[in-house]
Amino acid sequence: MQKQNELIDQQIGGEYKYGWSSDIEMDTAPMGLSEEIVRFISKKKKEPDWMLEFRLKAYRHWLKMEEPKHWAHLDYPVIDFQKIIFYAAPKPKKELKSLDEVDPELLKTFEKLGISLEEQKRLSGVESRIAVDAVIDSVSVKTTFKETLAEKGIIFCSFSDAVQEHPDLIKRYMGSVVPGTDNYFAALNSAVFSDGSFCYIPKGVRCPMELSTYFRINAIGTGQFERTLIVADEGAYVSYLEGCTAPMRDENQLHAAIVEIVAHEKAEVKYSTVQNWYPGDVNGKGGIYNFVTKRGICLGDDSKISWTQVETGSAITWKYPSVILKGNNSVGEFYSVAVTNNMQQADTGTKMIHIGKNTRSTIVSKGISAGKSNNSYRGLVRINKGATRARNHSQCDSLLMGDRCGAHTFPYIEIKDKSAIVEHEATTSKIGEDQVFYCNQRGISTEKAIGLIVNGYCKEVLNQLPMEFAVEAQKLLAVSLEGSVG
Amino acid sequence: MGFLGPLRKRAMDAFLKQGLPGRKSEEYKYSNPEKLFRGASIKPESLGLESVNFNVSGLEKKPSVLDLKKLDKALQAFEIKGVSENRVVLVNGVYIQELSALPDMPEGVLICSLAGALTDYRSLLEKHFSKYADVEADPFIALNTAYAGDGLFMRVAEGVTVGKTIHILNVITDEASALLNKRNLILLERSAEVDVVESTVVVSEEVNVGRNVVNELSELILDEQSRLRFYRMQQDCEGLNLISTVQVLQKASSHFDTHTITLSGDWMRNNLNIVVDAERCETHLNGLYITRGIQHVDNHTLVDQRKPNCESNQLYKGILADKSTGVFNGKIFVRRDAQKINAYQSSKTILLSDDATVNTKPQLEIYANDVKCSHGSSTGHLDEEAMFYLRSRGLSEESAKRMLLYAFASDVVDTIRIEPLRAYANDLISKQLDFDIKK
Repeated sequence: MQKQNELIDQQIGGEYKYGWSSDIEMDTAPMGLSEEIVRFISKKKKEPDWMLEFRLKAYRHWLKMEEPKHWAHLDYPVIDFQKIIFYAAPKPKKELKSLDEVDPELLKTFEKLGISLEEQKRLSGVESRIAVDAVIDSVSVKTTFKETLAEKGIIFCSFSDAVQEHPDLIKRYMGSVVPGTDNYFAALNSAVFSDGSFCYIPKGVRCPMELSTYFRINAIGTGQFERTLIVADEGAYVSYLEGCTAPMRDENQLHAAIVEIVAHEKAEVKYSTVQNWYPGDVNGKGGIYNFVTKRGICLGDDSKISWTQVETGSAITWKYPSVILKGNNSVGEFYSVAVTNNMQQADTGTKMIHIGKNTRSTIVSKGISAGKSNNSYRGLVRINKGATRARNHSQCDSLLMGDRCGAHTFPYIEIKDKSAIVEHEATTSKIGEDQVFYCNQRGISTEKAIGLIVNGYCKEVLNQLPMEFAVEAQKLLAVSLEGSVG
Repeated sequence: MGFLGPLRKRAMDAFLKQGLPGRKSEEYKYSNPEKLFRGASIKPESLGLESVNFNVSGLEKKPSVLDLKKLDKALQAFEIKGVSENRVVLVNGVYIQELSALPDMPEGVLICSLAGALTDYRSLLEKHFSKYADVEADPFIALNTAYAGDGLFMRVAEGVTVGKTIHILNVITDEASALLNKRNLILLERSAEVDVVESTVVVSEEVNVGRNVVNELSELILDEQSRLRFYRMQQDCEGLNLISTVQVLQKASSHFDTHTITLSGDWMRNNLNIVVDAERCETHLNGLYITRGIQHVDNHTLVDQRKPNCESNQLYKGILADKSTGVFNGKIFVRRDAQKINAYQSSKTILLSDDATVNTKPQLEIYANDVKCSHGSSTGHLDEEAMFYLRSRGLSEESAKRMLLYAFASDVVDTIRIEPLRAYANDLISKQLDFDIKK
């Protein structure tokens, strides 16, 4: 606890600390969106025809779709897709052979972010080995530990490399969880996605280290559209981390990503996110529009997918990491802390679709709203007919800090099987005055006391994070809520 | 000129603007009314629009003397001893004085038809009619306002406590038009108190004749310190498609308590919109639905807490058999600066069959921080341990089931404050449960 508080203290006085931008030579597509652009991106990436087909199909479908505005508790202007640059990549000087050849400016960028691409320490004092795939704007720049992983048969590389090197796997799994026509933003991503990470864990392999993707938006006027595909074959296990930051800009930048997870029989995938896109300033100017489709499928029996997310950034968050529980006895989990401050808006939650027998799911969502922000939980639990003895427990708590913010809960519960047991609880309240008083009485200042209480409130979720992330997440919480106390 | 004409015109415009709620409507997500109309369009010219009275093109006619006798006999089946002594009979929305009886009404209680009120209490009507149900908020409110036929007008004057319960018998017959828009207005003045029971029943020559759509709207106004208990029994209305909206306005220190017990009807949608527009109010919403066959029952509640220091409670329970569908969509809305609100909501459902479906959407939308709001929802089957306990004590499976289901339902029924009504409801529920269990 002592350490946690120190961490919070360190952060007091700090604002969004990833707000700088780097001067890297960029290769960008012309502004706007058309079939030409889709072809341009595909060509740029030297993609095979089937990939282009996939993109065009999604694009043509997207043209027919409407922006989903009628249900989300969000308020934002219509996005002008003709004012976005759909492809931006650091200019490659030549084929990269070793880390020495990477643009030093790029390396500096990632070092500034606290992510050393030189394959070792991640946080001072914490010795750890994490394989990182670094994605800047639209393109994966470097994947570390590739060789070590390859020894075990694990494939961990950028999505573009995977398209070239493992087309069979991509063809088989891409779009199998989130079809190219799934929803408005997924269709958009399927048409223009530029890169991302691909990960395949073969049968019976337990991935020896955490895999991680770090996303960074850098260029001005661009959107970021990456996709991640994780496949865990029979009995495999992997823990995957995702982090993201962006510079402070007055304009709103669009981020529309897709994450697909496939878990075969007895496989387990744990996906953790610390989302820290630039949230905009106090008056709501600038910030990232984060429209993300994340979905996993427990394809085989006894498989498990677990989502953990800490959402602190973005002007707008629209994100519902879901699990389709198809295999019998499969397990889905969703742990979330969503923090909104100032003018931020978040509409986030999950979907648990029970299809197999004896499937179980757990949802723990902790929302914290401060300033003039709005924070909504929106989650669906569906028990299909034939999903006998399915079990779900959901808990959604909201904490309100200040009297100008909003906290909302919109659960959807659809049950078609009588043997199911589904429970949902939600509470909304503020930080108990008695708790603050108790701390004050023992000499803990109000600000510290609130940090303490918030940390305790989120503990259930933070405990799910891998250690390095948990520390970072706690720091983030403190920064995000700074100035909202009192 | 009348005030009704322009009102109806505005409502019609609002309806045309909104149209029937489709599949994309969040509010009608689980109850698509499109299928009730089977593609039939509602054209403004098809009914006497901009009518300045409540006798819209003379659509709903008063039954003949002969029919009245028949009806009187048929209605005996729905009498509740100790409640029906003071009764108001509405046939297809038309107030039938011949069948109504109000022997125990104290001075200050006004009960008449809307049409009657339009001539006798015009200023009251003009002041309150359609002032609370927002035609822009829901297409069925708009539709009702545009076409509202006759209905009940009731006013309890300042300080009057009505000692006896008033029973409204809401009768739908074969003669009702395909789309029946009924309307009620109930006013409780300062410190007035009254208990009202409303039974909705179908009286029909043939079984399951209904198939018409009834769109009813009641506006209830509770002035300062008034207290209204409003019990709704939706029983014996097989074949009925009902969209029922109750729009309530609560003023300071008022107390509103309502029960919606749905045991019958093909497609039932109950909208309960409560606007709590002043401090120190209390609101209690209770509901019970026991469905079978292909019944569809949707309870939709909205408690709009606009001012601080109020309390609201919601308890909804459902028992679903066969291929029936149950929906509960409850929303607690706490406005900015409406501090010190305690608002609770609980929804529990038991599924008796694998073909039954329940969709629950409990929502909290909170803009004030010093509040205590919560909702809980659970769905399951009968507790196996409890069943085992009862079976091990020698109860047959049937009686064990009956006992557990009855206990489940009694949480709601026990909160009925009128003793004879509680007994009556218990009786109806036991009968229905027996039927479901034996199958």
